[in-house]
Amino acid sequence: MKEIRFHGRGGQGAVTAADLLAMAAFYEGRYSQSFPSFGTERRGAPVLAFARIANSFIRRRSQIYSPDYVVVLDPSLIEVVDVTQGIRDDGKILINSEKSPDELGLETKAEVHTINATKIALDVLGVPIVNTAMIGAFGAMSGEVSLEAIVKAVKNRFSGSLAEKNVRAVEVAYQKMEERL
Amino acid sequence: MKPGAVITEPGSTVRNKTGGWRVFRPVFNMERCIDCGNCWIYCPEACVSKSEEGEYSADLEYCKGCGICANECPTEAIEMQLEEK
Repeated sequence: MKEIRFHGRGGQGAVTAADLLAMAAFYEGRYSQSFPSFGTERRGAPVLAFARIANSFIRRRSQIYSPDYVVVLDPSLIEVVDVTQGIRDDGKILINSEKSPDELGLETKAEVHTINATKIALDVLGVPIVNTAMIGAFGAMSGEVSLEAIVKAVKNRFSGSLAEKNVRAVEVAYQKMEERL
Repeated sequence: MKPGAVITEPGSTVRNKTGGWRVFRPVFNMERCIDCGNCWIYCPEACVSKSEEGEYSADLEYCKGCGICANECPTEAIEMQLEEK
């Protein structure tokens, strides 16, 4: 079973990101779940969302304390919350940042990757909502879900031009991340 | 476990700088400014202020980068620039 924790801010789509990931895994015939956890429900407040992906029925229902993957949708969160908390030593962290992993200087044994998802979102969607781009990059980084499954999940969630744009964001981020690995 | 929703120290909110997640920041071009004060009036954070020299600026510790000031400015003296982070 793989456990994923998303750090975001209210309005960036961390909850939707976890949903889309779980949905994508489900489309690939795996078991999955997703659920959020937030304090103050307002734009900009730090938000947590979780997803589990497994090849067998998932009985665990608790919050995720030792994730295999951490996805950070907003780089400014690094100063506010401990994004590395509980991460497994062989885990991977994906951060939306224009900086390199070394520049961020996180104290963790986990592998750190960065992608400038804000730029992708602004270029493709025109708004700085980074969730779909981050899921695309996550797919490429982790190999847990295929690009096709993510696209299917996005199309299921959004409709019309919004779906098209978000699919583009997923694809661009997926390719960018793949090139970098 | 930390107690939730308990304020152990009064006035601690001022330490919570809420501007960190901004994507765009307002940059004021004072050469175009006509001192109408719209940015100061419309800012929902009340973080736009006027200095003694008459120059407007936004308090970036609280500015969320919403762009209302730039939108309201009649002379387009405020430009929203992409934040580097």
